Amino acid sequence: MTPILSVAHSSPAAFGRVGVQSIVQCKSWNRCCLRGIQEDESQPPAFPNYIWRKPVPSKFSRKFRKQHIPLVSRRGEEDSFFANVNEEDDGEMYDKLFDKYGKVVYSSGDKKSAGDEIDDDAESLSFAVAMAKVASEVKAADIKVLFVKPLVYWTRFFIIATAFSRPQIDAIGSRIRDLAETQYGKVPSGDMKPNSWTLLDFGNFLALVNKDIKSLVTVLLIWFGWHIVLSGDVVIHIFLPQHRAFYNLEEFYGNATHIELPFENQQPPFRP
Amino acid sequence: MIQPQTHLNVADNSGARELMCIRIIGASNRRYAHIGDIIVAVIKEALPNTPLERSEVIRAVIVRTCKELKRDNGMIIRYDDNAAVVIDQEGNPKGTRVFGAIARELRQLSFTKIVSLAPEVL
Repeated sequence: MTPILSVAHSSPAAFGRVGVQSIVQCKSWNRCCLRGIQEDESQPPAFPNYIWRKPVPSKFSRKFRKQHIPLVSRRGEEDSFFANVNEEDDGEMYDKLFDKYGKVVYSSGDKKSAGDEIDDDAESLSFAVAMAKVASEVKAADIKVLFVKPLVYWTRFFIIATAFSRPQIDAIGSRIRDLAETQYGKVPSGDMKPNSWTLLDFGNFLALVNKDIKSLVTVLLIWFGWHIVLSGDVVIHIFLPQHRAFYNLEEFYGNATHIELPFENQQPPFRP
Repeated sequence: MIQPQTHLNVADNSGARELMCIRIIGASNRRYAHIGDIIVAVIKEALPNTPLERSEVIRAVIVRTCKELKRDNGMIIRYDDNAAVVIDQEGNPKGTRVFGAIARELRQLSFTKIVSLAPEVL
């Protein structure tokens, strides 16, 4: 069975949750076409060859407004239906529509239990705090650790730090790489050249491949003496001050939980 | 399948609106570019009062293609348009935000900066 995901990108907000564990039929796509290959001719297909999404009334569509909202209330701003619709109601409405019309079309099958997820989060958190501490030792400024897992599925923690020159960015990157490799057995990827925005990506790069290949690669790496840690998604951003203000990642991930660092409130050591 | 003379939309707020591919980076005589490839492009349409202007030659990373993208697990993703994100010589995006959904293969191809700025990653 080969699901085809046809993506209409009319607006950035038009996409529903497409998580790492499952890809679901999106709520607000203009159309979503799914194609299933029937494996056994005698059995009915899992789903028809083409499923067109049932027309879901948009709150802005003229037809929907005509049907559901009296003309009088449409004219009044304060008592109108739209004045009462806020962001939370939007979310609830989309959830209801998804429960009614949505459908899971693909599930990867390697879903972890809640306990495993918590363990992975804790492991990633300790790693992120250790990396932030190293950055602090190399005089990185304004270090922030953000828990972005509820917002994006592809990583758990962001570390955002400011350095004041490219040699300092290089020094911070080198120290972080060394510590991650020696103590945690992790090797970063990403754009590690010391330019104005240096990024170290400690992620799970076997997420895309299927389960069998993943286990085969893990066995091979262990066979050749590599200590592999599949969890621990931490992405470290080191900026020059003007680039940090330009990209403003803190604002973009404004809903992420800010992690308090243990060394944040410590006084610098006294030097006579 | 992006090739020279292909017109692409711009999926960021750099100020460019439409690009035309003029060269594919990677090999001497490469015919097509796919998601995650860097191309050299010329700006065909740009917003006024932005740093980028029409007829400027820039580099861009392809983030969406109409041609299907196949994954090892059998999933196939195709988009409604061809789109790219403008980058500079260091590989940093020229815009501050990326619009629309992008594929997670970009992270494997070391474009995590673009992935960080995107609202949705498939």
